[in-house]
Amino acid sequence: MSEHEQLNERDREQVEERHEHGAEHYRKVYLTLLVLLVLSVAGPFLGIVWVTLITAFGIALVKANLVIQNFMHLRWEKRLVKWVLISSLVLMALFVAGVAPDVMRHEGQNWVNVAAADAVDRGIEDEHAEEEEHAEEGTAVTVADPDAFDAVGQFNLICAACHGSAGDGNGAAGAALDPRPANFTDPAFWETRDDERIKTAIRDGGAAVSGSPLMAPWGVLFDDAQLDALVEYVKAFRPAGQ
Amino acid sequence: MVEATVEVWHAQHEVHEHHGPQGVLKYLWSTDHKVISMQYLFTGMFMAVVGGFMAYVFRMQLAFPGSSVPGFGIVSPGEYNSLVTNHGSIMIFWVAMPVLIAAFGNFLIPLMIGADDMVFPRINRLSFQVFFISALVILGSLFVEGGGFGGAWTAYPPLSAKGVYNQTPLGATLWLIGVALEFVAFLLGGINFITTLMNARAPGMKAYDIPMVCWMIVIASILFMLSVGPLIAGAVMLLFDQTLGTGFYDPAMGGDPVLWQHLFWFFGHPEVYVVMLPAIGITIDIVATFARKKLFGYKLMLYTTVATGVLSFFVWAHHQFISGIDPRMANVFMVTTLLISVPIAELMFVIIATLYGGSIRLATPMLWALAFIAEFLIGGVTGIFLGASGADIYFHDTYFVLAHFHYTFFPIAIIGTFAALTYWFPKMFGKMMSDKLGKIHFWGTIIPFNFIFIPLFVLGMGGQHRRIYNYQHFPDLAGADFQRLRIIATVALLVMLAFQLVFFYNFIRSLLRGEKAPKNPWNANTLEWTTESPPPHGNWPPDQMPKVYRGPYEYGRPDRESDFWPQDEPA
Amino acid sequence: MSAKPIATTRSATGIPTGRLAVWWLLASEVVIFGGLLGSYIMHRVGHPEWAEAAAHTQVWFGAFNTLVLLTSSFTAVLAHQAAESGQGKKAAKFLVMTMGGALTFLLVKSIEWTIEISHGYTITTNTFWSFYYTAAGLHGLHVIAGAIIMGFIAVDAWRGRELQRVELIGIYWHFVDLVWIFLFPLLYIAK
Repeated sequence: MSEHEQLNERDREQVEERHEHGAEHYRKVYLTLLVLLVLSVAGPFLGIVWVTLITAFGIALVKANLVIQNFMHLRWEKRLVKWVLISSLVLMALFVAGVAPDVMRHEGQNWVNVAAADAVDRGIEDEHAEEEEHAEEGTAVTVADPDAFDAVGQFNLICAACHGSAGDGNGAAGAALDPRPANFTDPAFWETRDDERIKTAIRDGGAAVSGSPLMAPWGVLFDDAQLDALVEYVKAFRPAGQ
Repeated sequence: MVEATVEVWHAQHEVHEHHGPQGVLKYLWSTDHKVISMQYLFTGMFMAVVGGFMAYVFRMQLAFPGSSVPGFGIVSPGEYNSLVTNHGSIMIFWVAMPVLIAAFGNFLIPLMIGADDMVFPRINRLSFQVFFISALVILGSLFVEGGGFGGAWTAYPPLSAKGVYNQTPLGATLWLIGVALEFVAFLLGGINFITTLMNARAPGMKAYDIPMVCWMIVIASILFMLSVGPLIAGAVMLLFDQTLGTGFYDPAMGGDPVLWQHLFWFFGHPEVYVVMLPAIGITIDIVATFARKKLFGYKLMLYTTVATGVLSFFVWAHHQFISGIDPRMANVFMVTTLLISVPIAELMFVIIATLYGGSIRLATPMLWALAFIAEFLIGGVTGIFLGASGADIYFHDTYFVLAHFHYTFFPIAIIGTFAALTYWFPKMFGKMMSDKLGKIHFWGTIIPFNFIFIPLFVLGMGGQHRRIYNYQHFPDLAGADFQRLRIIATVALLVMLAFQLVFFYNFIRSLLRGEKAPKNPWNANTLEWTTESPPPHGNWPPDQMPKVYRGPYEYGRPDRESDFWPQDEPA
Repeated sequence: MSAKPIATTRSATGIPTGRLAVWWLLASEVVIFGGLLGSYIMHRVGHPEWAEAAAHTQVWFGAFNTLVLLTSSFTAVLAHQAAESGQGKKAAKFLVMTMGGALTFLLVKSIEWTIEISHGYTITTNTFWSFYYTAAGLHGLHVIAGAIIMGFIAVDAWRGRELQRVELIGIYWHFVDLVWIFLFPLLYIAK
């Protein structure tokens, strides 16, 4: 099979061409990479932001290029491979371009990401307070303090969608339901309710108190004390004189 | 002139005729691409029955709310959510992809390019093993405490991230792991398909001699591999949110739920083209064979497909028009979305142009191929309404969307599968299927299919939103005329499911007692028809591997007596 | 070892099949890490208050690990060179050195993470740390997987078999190094 030999010959030539440079070449590339590493570590010590960014990412790009071209032999590889890699990089750029307006920014045309904007402000204020907490307790610190139970906040977050923030059953989601959500400002409601029944309804759902199955069970979210706090808040909607 | 293949210089390797494992071991350990394709096919068909059963249950609940569903019982709201979530996930990830890409890709690609197997048979086997485990995981997730994941196949956080919201915490994590494993399986498989098509072609087979279905499956694999990455990253983040309490998607912890949406749909949109392209490829090959006519524009079709693939990466946020993305981005995505309808329409026109003037034979595979074009057109056209962001304000999350994507997915996954199965059954199993039963099955599927989903378009336009277990709770939607439409859809589904029994009967009976299939029952040109039915291990004797002399669609040439010209026949 | 199909030995593109496959694998890995790092960058730019948390990553650990990985890439390419000229045993030795680099990297990372966790910086401390552990963790998993596969290839190479695979695992290994080249400035320098 002379074809086979011919092709082996061609391959061998190509291989030799690739390794003209040999171990010396690789050594040079390696040393360059080390120098670049030192530069990138030294960069921040100057304290100038744009210098840091250039030394950090610019050098990363240069290092990456050296590794790809020389160690991975892209320099001598068929063009097809380059196109495949470029496509995947272009797609990543496309992804970031399409997502950044929503995720990187916290406001845009007719919208504001309140939670994220708050987190940014809070973070800048609490910087020092958090640091002290870390050193003392060594436990995970989340932004919201889990200890104080905010019954009003939880009601507005979870219940108001159907029952309305005024407790009158006119929440936006409630409008489409049949039967309608309970109206806590209606005296008729209070004629057939006591604390225990309200608590059970919140914890186990409407079906558990022979009420509407559309009232979901929320017991997994709240412990006993928290349920009591919620009941107290619901009672606050009761019309005066009842 | 026949090009020499380029043999690669290796330190040493052996190539010799060898036999695969025999007996029962064959099904566990075989690396033969045909065995692996059968494994994918049968797993996919089983999962189709599971997914179809889920559809049966929830449609019964919608038509007769609160009644006990025969074979299931009363459907609780939580169970309803699990059913629709897993129906969607299973149909896309465990039916459409394994059957269209893994099963037919595995079976057809080596045969159609004149190779004896895939280039990495053991990775091929590994990919099925990983896939099989993923199927076990998703099925297992249905039986754990709390039941199967109920947060929709799109799994938006915080619903999907917090068990207290979705009420199926264990199911949610297992769902995520099942999907992740499926992704790994298809990444492994994809590398095999792409490399095999690029490198392992028969001597003489140039790029434009490759049958369209092979191109389509490989382009689909490329789309998959390039789009699934960000979602894998996102899935890891969601898994940590679910299990470790991180806040990647929790605004209170500095995360962003919209990020998940972008990560999901950046994959999710190319994904629909991942499943669409193989179905179109199957349709093309069948149409050429049964119209006895050369494909209208091979290169046109190929380049249009590549353009569609590229463009498919630019449209993803049309799934998020009203979920809080910046409206200016919505404008951009609307334009790209409306643009992408052009190349796809062009593909349809090329197929129709191929039919024009052909000598058409309406065998069962051809009926399926023609039905694909008709039904997919309806799906595609209704997508245009949804691509207009203004109209989508109304249509989003209504049954209009659902009907649209069933008019695209059903042709892709079901019609495409039946087309391919009835066409290649003789080659795969060595027996002929009954054409008469095939036609009965065909009409019994297509007609009810339309009666299921046209009512759903009407309901969607009437404002019926998705993923609600009982519309009687919504006064605007509880009227008798709407309910009648729901019942029509459900009854049509029952009829359609009943007719699938005809298919199973035909399939099994043909396997056991069908007429023995010749090498080339359809007088087709492509290489798989030059070997035995079914092909032996290694596909051809090693010293008789085919050489290729022309393209795959030389049908009906006026200068020849015969109306077909196999690719491997010397000039 | 089972015999290779004829298909594996063909090469219509002129690129050996194994190498073509590894490049496609890398393309898919680029989008995985790209998605993760892109998501991190977008969050980080939008949340300047993370600078406080980020200040606690230790640049010397990162720099040392960068040195280790760069050196391991060097030994990997020397292994490739040895394999090309048929010197299986020499290639295997260099591969083992590369694996040593992998092990060192993982060891240093474990120490680093132990210190950080004992100071209270866990994966749930704050979303910066979530990204930190997830990105470095995913990278670390790739280091482990690469080292294991490299072990199998080194054994074969020692026996003079399948020497072309030395180049392939090398290409994968350089990619692992590349990801770290970007993780290092992101998490340690320009944080």
